[in-house]
Amino acid sequence: MTVTSLAEGRPAFARARRRRRVPTAWIPYLFLAPALIWYAAFLVYPMLQSLYISFFDWDGLSPTMTFVGLKNYIDIFMSDEVARLALWNNILWTLGALVLPTAIGLMLALALNRRVPGSTLFRTIFYSPAVLPLVAVGLIWAWVYNPNFGVVNTTLKAVGLRTWAAGWLSSYELALPATFVTFVWSHVGFPMIFYLAGLQAISKEYYEAATIDGANAFQRFRHVTLPGLTETHVIVLSLAVINGFKVFDLVYTMTYGGPGRSTQVLGTWMYFQTFQYYHAGYGSALAWVIAAIVLVIAIPYIRRMSR
Amino acid sequence: MRGMRLLAATALAGLVAFSAAAEAKETLRLMTVFDAPTVQLWEPVLAAYNEANPDYEVKMETVAGSGAAVYPDVLRTAMASGDPPDVFFMWGGEIAGPFIRAGQVAVLDSYYDKYGWDKVVAPWTIERITRDGHKYGVPFHARGMGLWYRVDLFEKYGLSEPKTYDELAKVCSTFKENGIYCASFGGKFGWQTMRLLDYFIETTCGPEEHDKLNALQSSWNQPCVVAAYDRMAQWVKDGWLVPDFLNVAPNDARMAVYSGDAAMVFEGGWFEGVLKSDEQPMENFKFFLPPTDHTPVRYSAFPEQWMIPEASKHKDAAAALINWLTIADTQKKFPEAFTASATIGVESDCSVAPRDCEWKKILTSDSQTYPPTDQAFTKELIDGFFEVQDGVVAGKITPTDAAAQMQAKAEAWKAKQKS
Repeated sequence: MTVTSLAEGRPAFARARRRRRVPTAWIPYLFLAPALIWYAAFLVYPMLQSLYISFFDWDGLSPTMTFVGLKNYIDIFMSDEVARLALWNNILWTLGALVLPTAIGLMLALALNRRVPGSTLFRTIFYSPAVLPLVAVGLIWAWVYNPNFGVVNTTLKAVGLRTWAAGWLSSYELALPATFVTFVWSHVGFPMIFYLAGLQAISKEYYEAATIDGANAFQRFRHVTLPGLTETHVIVLSLAVINGFKVFDLVYTMTYGGPGRSTQVLGTWMYFQTFQYYHAGYGSALAWVIAAIVLVIAIPYIRRMSR
Repeated sequence: MRGMRLLAATALAGLVAFSAAAEAKETLRLMTVFDAPTVQLWEPVLAAYNEANPDYEVKMETVAGSGAAVYPDVLRTAMASGDPPDVFFMWGGEIAGPFIRAGQVAVLDSYYDKYGWDKVVAPWTIERITRDGHKYGVPFHARGMGLWYRVDLFEKYGLSEPKTYDELAKVCSTFKENGIYCASFGGKFGWQTMRLLDYFIETTCGPEEHDKLNALQSSWNQPCVVAAYDRMAQWVKDGWLVPDFLNVAPNDARMAVYSGDAAMVFEGGWFEGVLKSDEQPMENFKFFLPPTDHTPVRYSAFPEQWMIPEASKHKDAAAALINWLTIADTQKKFPEAFTASATIGVESDCSVAPRDCEWKKILTSDSQTYPPTDQAFTKELIDGFFEVQDGVVAGKITPTDAAAQMQAKAEAWKAKQKS
């Protein structure tokens, strides 16, 4: 038959190629392997290790650990008043982070998206706090707020507002909001940059069409800009939630959780428990509570908004 | 040209021989909290040791300026990783407690027998670092604290060093009447404010009861503790302290004294070095031990010590290094590196460091001391103490409630230890 004769008559190089043919499905994994190994060794393994530790009573130093099951998790919610206060502070912080830096960042992006003289300079100025280490930012702002020689009180006194001068970080009521102002100052650049990128991806034709249809500036913003920024909102708001719950550096450097415990957040409380009180198991449980809260809030939101 | 080659060959041979000798030495790692100026002062000390010792090369690692808030974390990480230093600096008291309880610190009793350190350093410092009858460290510094004051301000208002609490109160009210704060404190971290509260407890409860309170052998919910909190609240209410100080860093609290807005600051013997580095006129600052109205008049003091990790591979060499650093012969050769020494017989140069010289006399005399509460309590319990203290300063907690809350925290902590 023809087929048989064709097969028999196939040139030698074709048979060689057939012999060399190997399954190729694993090749992508080969390329992913270096990153996966790195990820597994330095992220997945420590995470699983901390989950394991969270079921133990361990000081982080001794060779032996005592299994306590879910006790650490139960204590966090049932008997640890500071953890509850810290959780509440995190919720307030996150709500603030969702509104203030995001809204200010969007406004700055809208302003700087136009062709105005010096817009590059202003973008750099507004973004520059975001590249500073938060520890340095915290220490600088602690001086800014110093009740005696800080620039805030000195300025208020100089302009005749002496009665407005306060112990910004020493007051139980003002310490957390004052620290949050620093957070806004240092974080407003992130949403600004994201929104600038998002705005530049919106086609100008939509605005032209809306203008021709008689839409005013607010209507263009409401019906063209905001929907066009949907994907950017997902990123910005997700990061705001994540940053809100993992805040640590600013609180640690500016208030050290005080006065009293008034500015403790889950991140600092986890640090205090693990490294200062030698409760590594309890601290690990706190870390997983933070992670769980962030995942519960962020993942459904990202999935819904990404459809 | 030939001569040059010969010279180069000789130099190379010498370098190789030197490198081989250096490689032959084992490394002893010394971990401290020394700042840059202190590290400089210690360079000739360690160079002298390395030169005299053919077997070991000491290398210093420092976590500068971190204080007791961060240094223990770094040390803990080093120990948990199985790569601890061979000798490390540690404060006295409970800050070392977690390391000792975890079995990470070597017992030095046999080395005490070998080197006779009992007779080398001030007895009270050894007593303070002894735990359950064992010695885990060797006292290195003996630190005392008192009220440092501006001489010019005292002279201007005709004031003298107070001998009773009432006289101290009179000094403060005089300053207040003249628009000057009596004292400046930095409340961030809690421990500087604690010095004032500790003093109040010593005055209102007396030495014996104060010691029992620190050992949690006596209830904090008692009238003398209420009286101490009441004094704290009164000092704030009367405007004797620079206001809004609860989150001011302790170092920044000195600014008010330097500027003349406040007259006093509660600091230790190390303040003389601070004044020098801050370029303040030394003759304008003196100190006195706060009067307690009790006999004996005790003051706040604590030792700092050298310790050896249990996991060190060079324990004998580490003990020999500690001995070399502790003996008077070594310290006398490097007086600037060994200010506030706990070693008996090492006198400070009174012309160079007059205040340190005064402290040395007090610290090696028969006078008695009480520990700062942050060295009597674990970090967990002392943070509870700071929480109550802050509440009193801010007017959020009444003195009566403060005493009750402090006792509740003490009981909760004790119950936790039992469970």
